[in-house]
Amino acid sequence: MNMLIEKGTEKGSTVTYFAIVFLLLLLVLGMVLPKGARSLVIQMMIFSVLAMGYDLSLGFTNQCSLGHSVFFGAGAYGAIFSIMYLKVGLLPSLFFSFAAGFFLAVITGLISVRLSEAYFVIVTAIFFAIFHLLAMDLTWLTGGDDGLSIQLPALSLGFGKLSLYNPLVNYYFVLAFLALSYLVLNRIVKSPLGKIFISIRENQKRIQFLGYNVYRYKLIAFILSGMFSGLSGGLYALTLRYGSADFFSFHWSIMPVVWCLIGGLGTLAGPWIGAVIMSLFQYYVSAWWTYYLILFGIIILLILRISRKGIMGYIMGRRLA
Amino acid sequence: MPEIVSTVLFLLVNGLIWGLIISLIALGLTLIFGVMGIVNMAHGDIYMAGAVLSFYVVTILGSFWLSLVLIPAIIILIAAPMERFVLRPYEGYHSSTMIATVGISFIIEQIALGTYGGIPKKIMNPWPMSFNFLGVDYPGYRVLIAGISILILIGLWVFLYKTSYGILVRASMQDREMASAMGIDVNKVLITTFVMGSVLAAVGGVLAAPINQVFYLMGNDVILLCFIVVIVGGLGSLKGTLIAALSLCSLEGMMASVLSPTQARAAIFVIMVIVLMRRPQGLFTE
Repeated sequence: MNMLIEKGTEKGSTVTYFAIVFLLLLLVLGMVLPKGARSLVIQMMIFSVLAMGYDLSLGFTNQCSLGHSVFFGAGAYGAIFSIMYLKVGLLPSLFFSFAAGFFLAVITGLISVRLSEAYFVIVTAIFFAIFHLLAMDLTWLTGGDDGLSIQLPALSLGFGKLSLYNPLVNYYFVLAFLALSYLVLNRIVKSPLGKIFISIRENQKRIQFLGYNVYRYKLIAFILSGMFSGLSGGLYALTLRYGSADFFSFHWSIMPVVWCLIGGLGTLAGPWIGAVIMSLFQYYVSAWWTYYLILFGIIILLILRISRKGIMGYIMGRRLA
Repeated sequence: MPEIVSTVLFLLVNGLIWGLIISLIALGLTLIFGVMGIVNMAHGDIYMAGAVLSFYVVTILGSFWLSLVLIPAIIILIAAPMERFVLRPYEGYHSSTMIATVGISFIIEQIALGTYGGIPKKIMNPWPMSFNFLGVDYPGYRVLIAGISILILIGLWVFLYKTSYGILVRASMQDREMASAMGIDVNKVLITTFVMGSVLAAVGGVLAAPINQVFYLMGNDVILLCFIVVIVGGLGSLKGTLIAALSLCSLEGMMASVLSPTQARAAIFVIMVIVLMRRPQGLFTE
């Protein structure tokens, strides 16, 4: 038992070191990167928030959801609508995207979380499809395929005003939220609540026999996951200053799965590696070959074939061996 | 007044015939789930593959009827190795297998986009005849689809309930471990079921090709409907899937007279949510 705990803490620390190094690297990179590469890194950081949120669902409680594009899109539109109609500032608008993710995750979670594995996948996939259909159809509200553009208000901090139109400000704004999300999620995962999540993943039946309400804890994980996906959607909309029905598309449901699988399920910071690799892959390969999604499908099949632990899991396995 | 009645009847019959096609596809989905325990996300793309291949057979060989025979043969050649060499290694990890089928779905879609192209095309009506049905001219091809689908459904029923191999399949659906302990070659059953389910989907695609446009993303719309159908009917329940497909599709068809297609789909979705809240395991599972 003692061995297990020791192993557990060491496992945790590898990821924590990695996360700290990664964040510090990003802090430095922001100043030296050229403009094009910087905007790519901004996207990677936003995707990392989504990947962490998704990891809470698939990596920690083994809920394989295909409906996270709903939360991502809702978060984006939460930010856009609050700026357009309520004229709120930047930080409150992100609060609205958080809230939109929370609201939709509660609704969809109450319906889908108690279902069995296969039903859960199907029902979340149906949620994605219906919300995508509605977003495409309700053009008066969402702008449909063309989308809605917004004018960003200035970010007012205590000492002055900053504009997100400045790419450097944008970079550090997103980085701050990545670090903040990591801190919050890491705290949750290390807390007793996180231990319950992990034990649900490892053996759901046993944890039920121990008297825990599995449904409630799975729902909590699902809602937290939806909230951070919403936040990521909000950040994406603010960075692009734009949102469209495309934010509800299947792309945003399947990408988090791939990021988490590549980076390492249940490691929180591991999926960052997945987000970086897949963003680079998409950036370079999609320019080179129109049908690059074939390679994407093959990559999915290969990762699942090689290992379910991902890169981070592999590194940690090496250190323990 | 009679005009309204005949319009509604027309839509109802249209919906029922679409429901027969959907029930073929959804039964394939349910069979695969029943035996393998996985949800085949690439099912809609196999339906699309059936329609696209039928487009090629019709334009090259000039006969639609030939495609009804040829395409199941082609799909058998594709689906059997797919189960054995691509999906088999993931056996046992359900969520892995489901994500793997998403990967397969990307591959099939992109191959179709690369070879067939991204523009929707139409197949000419293979049986340009029409019946006079309550004062409305009803296209004969749709009646024919209904006939063929019912024949296939009867064939499926005979196979599953009247042949010894069908008993093996149903035994594996009930309890795979026990079936394997009784000496049933479950691996063989797995391949048979996957191939059978895929052939059902592809035949659905062939039948639907002349009434729908053939498009490389046409499977996405159908897989959504099939998912709703199996959720309402109960995943793994053959009877439930059939009843749910027919009733939901005719309902959607009738609602399309007053609502837009998206609204009708949303209404079906609401029905599904209500069913899920009341009976999470579907209406027709014991």
